[in-house]
Amino acid sequence: MEITFAVVLWAVRLAFLALLYLFLIRAFRSLQRALATEKVAAEVAQTGLAYLVVQRSHAGGPKAGSRLPLRAVTTIGRDAGNDIVLNDEAASAKHAVLTFRDGEWWAEDAGSTNGTLLNASRIWEAERLRFGDEIDIGRIGLRLEQAAPA
Amino acid sequence: MRPIAANIRSLTLAIAVLFLLTSLGVGYWSFIAAAELNADPYNPRLIAAVRDRPRGRIVDKDGRELAASARVGDAYQRKYADRSLAQVVGYASFKYGAAGIEGAYQGSLIGQDPADPLGQWRARYLGERGVPGAVALGIDQKIQAAALGALAGRRGAVVALDPRSGQILASVSLPSYEANLLVDPKQQDIAWGQVNGNAERPLINRVAQGLYPPGSTMKIITGAAALENGVDPATKIRVDDPYQADKSWGDYAVRSAAKAHGDFDMALAFQRSENIYFAKLGLQLGGAKLAEYARKFGLAKAPDLDLPAAKGQLSNGGTLERPVLIADTSFGQGELLVSPLQMALATAIIANRGVRVVPHYAAEIRDAAGHPLRTITGSTGDQVIRPETARILTGLLTGAVDAPGAFAFGAKVPGVAVAGKTGTAEVPSGTPHGWFVGFAPAEAPTVVVAVIIENAGNGGVDAALVGGAVLKAALGR
Amino acid sequence: MTRFHPVGRVVELRLLVWAGLLTLAGFIAVVAADAGTFAPAALIVPVTVLAVFAVLHLFLVGTGFRGDQLILPLAVGLTGIGFVLVQRLAPNLLVQQLTWVVIAAGAFGATILVPRDLSVLGRYKYTWALIGLILLVLPLVPGIGREINGARIWIRVGIGQFEPWEAVKIVLVIFFAGYLAEHREVLGATSRRFGPVSIPPLPFLVPILLMWLVAMLVMVFEKDLGATLLFFGIFLAMLYVATGKVSYPVAGLLMLVIGGFVAYHAFNHVAARIDVWLAPISSDLRFDTGYQLSQGLFALANAGLLGAGLGAGMPEQIPVVWSDFVFDAFTEEVGFAGALALLSLYLVLVYRGMLIALRAPTVFLQLLAAGLSFIVAFQTLVIIGGNAKLIPLTGITLPFVAYGGSSLVTNFMLIALLLRVSDVTARVRNAPH
Repeated sequence: MEITFAVVLWAVRLAFLALLYLFLIRAFRSLQRALATEKVAAEVAQTGLAYLVVQRSHAGGPKAGSRLPLRAVTTIGRDAGNDIVLNDEAASAKHAVLTFRDGEWWAEDAGSTNGTLLNASRIWEAERLRFGDEIDIGRIGLRLEQAAPA
Repeated sequence: MRPIAANIRSLTLAIAVLFLLTSLGVGYWSFIAAAELNADPYNPRLIAAVRDRPRGRIVDKDGRELAASARVGDAYQRKYADRSLAQVVGYASFKYGAAGIEGAYQGSLIGQDPADPLGQWRARYLGERGVPGAVALGIDQKIQAAALGALAGRRGAVVALDPRSGQILASVSLPSYEANLLVDPKQQDIAWGQVNGNAERPLINRVAQGLYPPGSTMKIITGAAALENGVDPATKIRVDDPYQADKSWGDYAVRSAAKAHGDFDMALAFQRSENIYFAKLGLQLGGAKLAEYARKFGLAKAPDLDLPAAKGQLSNGGTLERPVLIADTSFGQGELLVSPLQMALATAIIANRGVRVVPHYAAEIRDAAGHPLRTITGSTGDQVIRPETARILTGLLTGAVDAPGAFAFGAKVPGVAVAGKTGTAEVPSGTPHGWFVGFAPAEAPTVVVAVIIENAGNGGVDAALVGGAVLKAALGR
Repeated sequence: MTRFHPVGRVVELRLLVWAGLLTLAGFIAVVAADAGTFAPAALIVPVTVLAVFAVLHLFLVGTGFRGDQLILPLAVGLTGIGFVLVQRLAPNLLVQQLTWVVIAAGAFGATILVPRDLSVLGRYKYTWALIGLILLVLPLVPGIGREINGARIWIRVGIGQFEPWEAVKIVLVIFFAGYLAEHREVLGATSRRFGPVSIPPLPFLVPILLMWLVAMLVMVFEKDLGATLLFFGIFLAMLYVATGKVSYPVAGLLMLVIGGFVAYHAFNHVAARIDVWLAPISSDLRFDTGYQLSQGLFALANAGLLGAGLGAGMPEQIPVVWSDFVFDAFTEEVGFAGALALLSLYLVLVYRGMLIALRAPTVFLQLLAAGLSFIVAFQTLVIIGGNAKLIPLTGITLPFVAYGGSSLVTNFMLIALLLRVSDVTARVRNAPH
């Protein structure tokens, strides 16, 4: 009787260990799937690599001619938390977002006070961009340019 | 500037590497260092794991119980019978681990004898109870009592052993401690604080772990080295106190205890314990030869005992090169440090006709029914010196005890020839320690004794008296 | 979050079931080994805990939360293991820990809902710095602060003590993320060179050096090595992530070594820790200050591959095992195999957190997620390293597993923030247009 109990107890202990590993393996698989999609995303980002080139600026803003690298999702605004920080009174804290989706660049106004201009016309929803398009935020003019392939 | 994503990847990689290293570190403790830690006497696991059942008994040569388990509350607690054997029997505390025989023979005492791996496995994984055996020591109660009585509470140590087998017959180390307090959960912390923090170090087994300069007892080894290297014991050596080999010694000189002037042969030198004679002998041999023989006699090497034993040293640097150091070492001063057990074993080589013996406290492991499982035999070792050298030295040492005016007269036993040598070990602070080593009967020795009395004040004279009392008890006189 | 459409979170649910089974199996083993028999009533507490987490899952589903589905189950699995160990090592603390789980779940839910916009956190960075400082100093205020085991790092709150530094670690990450997102360009640039050493513009280093100083002061006044080390680690890691300059962590580590060396000679409590680390089983220390660590090592040695079996080891020999030495206790009973799985769980959690950081849409959110994930990694490494005598022992807790309320509550807030970042990412990436 005592031995049976000891054996059952050990079975439960080993079950605990087995469950520990099963749990780990499941979690690891899930992580692996995420890593795989991340790799794809990274490759896509690679091919979509682009810059905003500063066309017009002023004393407090970014230097004209400087290139600002874009990320898959790039936020633009006056606030420090943005990927591209524009020091301009007419820019809102969160002004605009550029995103790379399905091989295309998209521009979207983030609810700014003074609006975002794409090729001189204000945008109200997400707009598809082409290389060479000009975006105006406050007094700063930016142009989308494709990065030279590495 | 590097993109943030790249930095995050590098950081993650660094973290992964650190995780790998950490798991290797954990693996080190669980596998590589595990055997050593599991056997560590201070690891209370084995003791506490079996607290709900009695441990095996520890008994002496005649079956007298030295340690036994008794139920106290819901656990079994140890009871120790003989305080004079505290450092030998040791203790088995749930908190402070085990020491002494309790630690060294732990597996046998909890029914997991190392010779039975299957039993150990069943105990670990099935919680099955092994049947504890008993450990029988070779301690002889009447010799032990004589040694304890003769030492009369003075700080020091006495060890008696059989030179033919290496069996330890008596072992006293004072001050001692009350092991019963250390295993009582209610008193263990206070008791531990008192013995562990005590400047007189009662936990140390002075017999095997106490280190002292050997004083004149070292002359036995110097004498043996000289005899083995062609020195004729009858050749006289001039002694003039004080002695300097040359001017380079500066202020330093070897002193004769008797401020002697005259010609000494080896017999007289042993009787009078003449330092200058042995200093000259040592210088004549040279440091390398002296060191070689000291090592052959087991100095500067821990004896292969079944309890912890200290190693001692020949000199701070381990070699003998400077003439002053060679001269001082020849009569047992210099930087020499030895344990009483080492001196007893060196003496046993003389008593055993030049053959080394391996010492041991335990005599036999018994199963639960009391039948012997295995006997502990100290395998006899190699021939260290020629039997002839041992015979000559035995004669010289007999003279050192019974010749008129010999220092070691206190060790005389009526009707038996005793061989022996006293010693006075100068120490940096306090009065010198007193030594005696000896054996009897000189023609067919059955017992060797070594005695040290710390800061004795009276040289080796008192130590020789203690030695004599032990020899008398051992020989049944 | 105007659109509260429920969304299916199937992956999360499946993994939660595994975590639940794991917890129950552990509980059954521990209770059965202790009592010699098994009564189902013993499962009331773990079932309650799992129910709390099931509610959290339903809450995420109900609010249409689109964040990560792996993080919560991992945290739940670790918390479950923690409960098994509390039952094993300190059953009298079980109900108290249950109370803390309920509070932690509440804190998690609150963090999921508030603030509505995460970037708000970055905007008020100096407010966060101030809050952090106040929290740090709080234990020193007489009447509120309490000294336990020689470290003055506790404050009294309603149901017991709280260690403010646990909350400070999150506040610090928010502050650093906000500050570094703003100034990373400058800090990454090189303005002056002294030989091979490049110095960034000094004024921008001032806030950062101030933080270093504060961390050192904490060590002096509150005698808390663990928190000091953690703050400094967060600071160096985030500085590196923001600027990509290896010279920052290298210089920081040098400062730490120098600081540590000075502290070794100046402060007894630091010297004592280091001495214990070097030789815990030495004859001087093994029954004194080295007792805890040497007993911990004995526990590890007893582990082997499969361990002594849950409930069959003797980790209770280690003093305060339920908070400082849970890892050794776990390893002793579940073996090296269990320890390896536990370490791997943490690594998966950290990887997942770092992945969230990689994907996050703004620099601030990236730094935030990386910093939070780093906390989990760092605490795990430091305490396990301490338990296994690889580095000196500090009072840092093993995230989710070690007993302790402040730790549990703040760690659940931490993963809630991580989930929020992944939620933002998911919304930005798949925003309808």
